[in-house]
Amino acid sequence: MSDAATMAQKSPPKVSGEKPDVGHMEEFGANFARFLMRCNAECGELAEFNMGGQQTVLMSGPAAQEAFLKTLDQKLSRAAAYQATVPVFGKGVIFDAPPDKMKTQLKIQVDALRFQKMKNYSAIISREVEDWVAGWGDEGELDFLDEFLHLTLHTATHCLLGADFRYKLTDEFRDLYHALEKGLQAIAFVDPYMQQPIFEARDKARERLQELIGAIIAERRANTDVEYEDALETFMAGTYADGSFLTDNEITGLVIATIFAGHHTSSGTATWTLTELARQKKYSSEVLQELQVLFGDGALITFESLREIPRLEHFIEEVLRLHPPLILLMRRVIEDIDYNGTLIEAGKTVAISTYGSHRNTDYFPDPECFDPHRPSPDTLFAYIPFGGGPHKCAGNAFAMMQLKAIFAALLPRYEFELVDPDDSYQDDFSAIVLKPNGPCRLRYRRRK
Amino acid sequence: MKVIVDLALCQGHSVCLGEAPEVFEVSEEDDGYPQVRVLLQNPPEALRGKVIKAVKYCPNHVITVLED
Repeated sequence: MSDAATMAQKSPPKVSGEKPDVGHMEEFGANFARFLMRCNAECGELAEFNMGGQQTVLMSGPAAQEAFLKTLDQKLSRAAAYQATVPVFGKGVIFDAPPDKMKTQLKIQVDALRFQKMKNYSAIISREVEDWVAGWGDEGELDFLDEFLHLTLHTATHCLLGADFRYKLTDEFRDLYHALEKGLQAIAFVDPYMQQPIFEARDKARERLQELIGAIIAERRANTDVEYEDALETFMAGTYADGSFLTDNEITGLVIATIFAGHHTSSGTATWTLTELARQKKYSSEVLQELQVLFGDGALITFESLREIPRLEHFIEEVLRLHPPLILLMRRVIEDIDYNGTLIEAGKTVAISTYGSHRNTDYFPDPECFDPHRPSPDTLFAYIPFGGGPHKCAGNAFAMMQLKAIFAALLPRYEFELVDPDDSYQDDFSAIVLKPNGPCRLRYRRRK
Repeated sequence: MKVIVDLALCQGHSVCLGEAPEVFEVSEEDDGYPQVRVLLQNPPEALRGKVIKAVKYCPNHVITVLED
């Protein structure tokens, strides 16, 4: 995208069906993934719609998506688009921090996700999965939407805050976390500071969570000779350019931000992966064969053994294509932008849709068909479940490792089948993070 | 073979360092993410397997191999 110095004259085409005051809010709210596909079908590469007064330009196709993803914060701001996260993550944390501090906080977050740390996380996840299946018996039926929410909250808190915290994980923590989640529903993106009971509960929860995490931080500062190998250790060790450490508030904020980035996204994807494994028999038997070869003789699930499992990887990638957990990525336009002769003015929001991009027939023929053998597109900006460019999801390697650890442990031991009619397992578009509509019931039976 | 990297995409995950420490190192920066450094621009054929894995498992698709 170039500066608008030469002053492009055209404006993006407008999407039909706008209503007074609310704009396209109703249609967006009914099914935003489908609405965004309609915008693209009607208007093409750029499509402008109205979100209750906020003019929003959907950018579609790999070229426009590349421009969106590669343009830096100074021009297309994530912070301005994601202000709803501020009361959840905390004042002065990530999207509320000055640009240089935000950069350092995100760098420290990635430090906790580096290759050297990942080995320990693999071991933790493997252990959590073992503990989880230990009580399953030979056969049974479970709501896996619920199961995976629990499992991934356990793995997230264990990897982030350590074994101590994880095994003392209280109902209080779950309630606090739940109150924060409720504070980040769609209405928060309109105004996160409205007088609302959910926002009051959110603020109280944020405060209490800081007390809980602050207590662990204080304990660790008093015992500096112990090594924890969790993310909190990395967050506590990180420093700004002037050598100062992060405050308790900032550390708590990074912990919350990391759980939020990884929890529902991972649990939703795990649930969809298991559902697709249960119904795509042809492809799941290929994955099973692969896992039996790799882990059949009792090989342990470790960072090394998880690294390369091509069929399972392709299967999960196809799940992420059809069911990308984050559908809508947004930025606020800070300076006027000229996109190939079209002016996108400062103050507007620009957005891309992963869901729509993954159904672009130029790159994914017969897009609704589940086919893990599809060739990869020849561009990095058509298949974008983790976004792309300089701000690509920093947890993408962790996410893939965790999913592989779960299914490498489950699939060789149990077979799964759907309990309800096949077509009742659908995407639920009512939440910000995509997941199957619940309950997501599957039957399991131990393999002979 | 020639190894090139796109530093604009690098977040310093260090997976390449784990796969092929002969070819890659990751350096801390004053500002922002750590960045990959290519130690051997034209690595010997013996390292091809390791380099290809670094390309494949780089979380951000930072690394490209060009054939001579």
